[in-house]
Amino acid sequence: MHDSGDVKIPIGPQHPALKEPESFLISLRGEKITASSVRLGYNHRGIEKACEARTYTQDIYLIERVCGICSHSHSTCFVQAVEEIAGLDIPARAKYLRTLIAELERIHSHLLWLGVAGHEIGFDTLLMYTWRDREVVMDILAALTGNRVNYGINTIGGVRRDINAKQKEEVLKAMDILETQTKYYIDLAQNETTLLKRLQGVGVLSHDDAQRLGAVGPTGRASGIDRDTRKDDPYAAYGELDFKVISVNNNDVYGRTLVRLGELMESFNLVRQVIRKLPEGAISVKAPRKIPAGQAVSRYEAPRGEDLHFVRSNGTDKPDRVKVRAPTLANIQSVSKMLEDRYLADMPIVVAAIDPCFSCTDRMVALRDTQNRKKNTVPWETIRLKGIKWYKDKGVDFASLNKKLSASF
Amino acid sequence: MSVITKIINWSRLKSPWVLHFNTGACNACDIEIIAALTPRYDLERFGVVLKATPRHADILLCSGPVTKQIECRLLRIYEQMSEPKFVVAVGTCASSGGVFNGCYNVCGGIDTVLPVSAYIPGCPASPKAIIDGVVKLLQSLEEEPKSVNGEKK
Amino acid sequence: MNEEAIKQELINKFPYLQEAITIKRKGRIFAQVPADKFDAVFAYAVKEMRFAALSAITGLDRGDGVFEVIYHLNQEGRILLNLCVGLEKDKLAVNTVTAYCPSADIYERELEDLLGIKVNGLAAGYRYPLTDDWPQGEYPLRKDWKGNLASKEVPDA
Repeated sequence: MHDSGDVKIPIGPQHPALKEPESFLISLRGEKITASSVRLGYNHRGIEKACEARTYTQDIYLIERVCGICSHSHSTCFVQAVEEIAGLDIPARAKYLRTLIAELERIHSHLLWLGVAGHEIGFDTLLMYTWRDREVVMDILAALTGNRVNYGINTIGGVRRDINAKQKEEVLKAMDILETQTKYYIDLAQNETTLLKRLQGVGVLSHDDAQRLGAVGPTGRASGIDRDTRKDDPYAAYGELDFKVISVNNNDVYGRTLVRLGELMESFNLVRQVIRKLPEGAISVKAPRKIPAGQAVSRYEAPRGEDLHFVRSNGTDKPDRVKVRAPTLANIQSVSKMLEDRYLADMPIVVAAIDPCFSCTDRMVALRDTQNRKKNTVPWETIRLKGIKWYKDKGVDFASLNKKLSASF
Repeated sequence: MSVITKIINWSRLKSPWVLHFNTGACNACDIEIIAALTPRYDLERFGVVLKATPRHADILLCSGPVTKQIECRLLRIYEQMSEPKFVVAVGTCASSGGVFNGCYNVCGGIDTVLPVSAYIPGCPASPKAIIDGVVKLLQSLEEEPKSVNGEKK
Repeated sequence: MNEEAIKQELINKFPYLQEAITIKRKGRIFAQVPADKFDAVFAYAVKEMRFAALSAITGLDRGDGVFEVIYHLNQEGRILLNLCVGLEKDKLAVNTVTAYCPSADIYERELEDLLGIKVNGLAAGYRYPLTDDWPQGEYPLRKDWKGNLASKEVPDA
């Protein structure tokens, strides 16, 4: 951790420095990061406690809002646990529909990530194009569920809405469009030297470190940990579908990019399979209002990684305990390792590469220069712009790539 | 209204500079705010520019039920903005606390901490609603330019 | 290794777990471990039985004077071994497991903050997830905590 010779980190409830909530504490020697730590909790809303005061059905909507990007992940993970405790056998059609929304969510989330990653390194055209493509998926989700985000499609016992023939066709069309676009992004990622220079060798996390620190999802899979809850612990319809777990051994941000791009392609195929194999039948079974006493652990492969929910019931209509372990919490512990001995300029993309699901904009970074003992607190945006300029001075400039992309679309 | 005030108001209407701040939200509204800037919705055609520093911003676009960790930071950001300034609460959580109302680590809507000029409901507020809300705020400025505490300029 | 074999191996090594292990369904094993034996069982599961990944730690207040801490360990993602240890309210302490699973750090901090369970050996550092000025002795996830915080002073902005 922070070398006691370099830095004094204030700890304790009363400290003038802690009036300004700093999310990241970085110790620098010149431009190199010697140590870093992350402070979390800004998004702590007390959801687990609130769940105990609400019924299971109300909790579906609360849990969905743990995260606005993977809301379906949390809601499905939760209802799965409750259904297991109640011993409910949900209809096959419901499982497939949940899977459909799950993969559409993965698609929107990975495209979102691509855009954000582009933004962090100064490749803003990528942000504009990927988010424009993402709107195709948002339209589909809005048509199927009634909302662009926070779909509310789950209920204890199944799903609330069905899909008709016309919607199925639109989904398939959308997959074709997005597949073409994604193939272009893959080509970009594999062949554009500017992009490679920014992403390769950055945010390195060895296979052993990834395992030790518990990295999940694309972050872990980029370091050769080929764990994917959809394959290891199948839920919904995944046990009956054919797909590959994308895992590479690059161990860096580039690897994380490749994994997500690969997962996009797999998701398009999964969606097509779901549409083709969608079984007939009911979309839900009746669930009791009072869930019998019991407990269950439910796992789900969210776009960011393994999501785990633990639910304990006590025979009433309100849960006794709901525990949510979102994937970002598992991945955040690897960030300090990834930043070790790297340049400050890489910080934005390294953090962005784990696809963190916490407040995106308020992050303040506290920089402690260990050579002259000065401390400076700067907003995230400042580091981002500094990073872009730093690389520009080294000849890595996205201006021409931005132009080229605009010309070809 | 003096000529200078008219010019300042005109430029503010034509190109409001916006600071986006998340006070502990689930990120859905924030993503929709950023989506409002992307090609499909393109908030920039209204002259809305996203700024990174409070000192340059006219409008504070806030999402999220204010968590206790964020509260003093939110106040600080607001104080750093120069008058006249307007706060827009984006989303149900920012308007009233939303589903998190009553949770122990949450203050409630933005208006428990700051004076709010416009509320944009929705969970999340869709980009169309955000554009509608911002435009309505600008139109209300056109009619009766006031500073945040209601005094006519 | 399947669930039955895992259960048997644990019982062979720790005979007092004979009645304490339940296979709830495929991929889910729950074991109730006595507090004074926990460290040995945990170390064995992680090092000898390859349950090397800690997915999460759940702490809870049963409401009847007993708290539980559940360690969710997984073996290559496939089988979850949930080790539950019960703690009396006046003996709310566990030893840190970060020596075996560094990723336990943040989950253990959560136990301290939200339930007031002391984790012995946890490295000094930040707290998670509550604010630094959160009043002492207020543990939100305890059943008897109803959200009545002592009047909070508005910090000087």
